[in-house]
Amino acid sequence: MSLSQVVPAISYEEFLKFRDFFYRKTGIHFEDTKRYFVDKRLIERILATGNENFRGYFVMLRFEVSGAELQALINLMTVNETYFFREEYQFTCLVNSILEDIVPRKPRNEPIRIWSVPSSSGEEPYSLAIYLLEHWPRANDYDIELIASDIDTVILDKARQGCYDKRSVQHLPDALLRKYFTTLLNGQYQINQDLRDSVEFTLVNITELTQMRGYRDFDVVFCRNLLIYFDDTSRRIAAEALFNALRPGGFICLGHSESMSRITPLFKVRKFPEAIVYQKPLR
Amino acid sequence: MALIRKTHTPSDGDSRRLLRDREGLLRQLDDESAEARRWAALDLAVFPEAAEALCAHLQREIQPAVRQAMLTALIEIGSDAVVEGLLPLLRSEDAAVRNPVVEAFQHLPDAVSPHIETMLQDSDPDYRIFTVNVLNNLRHPQTPGWLQTVIESDADINVCAAAVEVLAEVGALAAIPALTALPGRFADDPFMQFCVQAAIRRIQGK
Repeated sequence: MSLSQVVPAISYEEFLKFRDFFYRKTGIHFEDTKRYFVDKRLIERILATGNENFRGYFVMLRFEVSGAELQALINLMTVNETYFFREEYQFTCLVNSILEDIVPRKPRNEPIRIWSVPSSSGEEPYSLAIYLLEHWPRANDYDIELIASDIDTVILDKARQGCYDKRSVQHLPDALLRKYFTTLLNGQYQINQDLRDSVEFTLVNITELTQMRGYRDFDVVFCRNLLIYFDDTSRRIAAEALFNALRPGGFICLGHSESMSRITPLFKVRKFPEAIVYQKPLR
Repeated sequence: MALIRKTHTPSDGDSRRLLRDREGLLRQLDDESAEARRWAALDLAVFPEAAEALCAHLQREIQPAVRQAMLTALIEIGSDAVVEGLLPLLRSEDAAVRNPVVEAFQHLPDAVSPHIETMLQDSDPDYRIFTVNVLNNLRHPQTPGWLQTVIESDADINVCAAAVEVLAEVGALAAIPALTALPGRFADDPFMQFCVQAAIRRIQGK
């Protein structure tokens, strides 16, 4: 920001107007308590786009044909806090219980499809890949497809590069760090090419049914700590979309503070020794 | 085998081959495939004028997943027409029809709030209980006031007991005088005294 730039102020009415617009576009709802967070990022984009105030910026945001500015704003407004092997008990549940429930009804020639959404910068899908290779004895018996998606294009690029700082990998055993990562000159750790090649990263807005139509036939979906950002109606829409994305009998894993039962009765609750997860009924 | 990368290409399910315009979607609400009915319901969310048809189909749909899709679409539409269309379904004898209506209303506080007073004055006590069930999770500033009116004036003990239960969850200290007075209206029933005491303790955080 140059000294000559005047920092625009966002009034409460403007905050409300923006909140409503952003909600309709993304399903993400900001409480009043998030106002500082929202204002700070709005001001950053107002100045970056050469606008003088919220009004001018908001007009641009709504009527811009390419949608590039909206995407830039989404990238700023979404939170990307994650690390390798976060909530590891769910990965244990995947290899010990969930997949063992799935494989008896799956033909050998049909791939196991796992979806990580939101993928953020890739820690979760790469953790899944490592966990499957290290801990699922049948990993070599099946083709496993890993799709990872996020609403944030910048974070998807970062995920594809697969470079992480020490904090991201601090929960990984040293042996796995040595086995699957290369230490870069700048001190970061880059995940090996083989694993980078094994995950397909895609852009998706989970509350957009039109986009979600293409996401089908998954056996397991990891959708952790996303629904907490949505309001009740968007949660319902997202739950419908996740239901559509699963094969009959497929599973969904949510974050430890989230409950699908509070959102919709569509899924069956499955209590495995390691975790509670949700299953699409077989029929 | 093991990990393989497959470029994600959006798939086009069978239901995509069917007509996606409003008339086509409305016809598919009667399709013999539950999957087609479910997709049709979800896609109808962008047609506010489909509210009436969705409400009508919700009443006779037997597949829970399709019912949920219809409900989601109706909540997305969220208009007065949706509330008007769902109100009669709250009288259904079938809990599988009635419960989704309660849930839908809870998602639509602005659209349903103009109807609450009338619903609470309905001659059928069961209908008034279902209305209290709506209030159980209705994010509207009037909710505690409506519940207080119930315990002050409703003649049916079961309706009042339902309201006391909800007040125990959502009530503020302001509701305590009305709660304290309630057992006097049903002096022959010790159960009400017990319910009220429990609710007051919850409100006071004891």
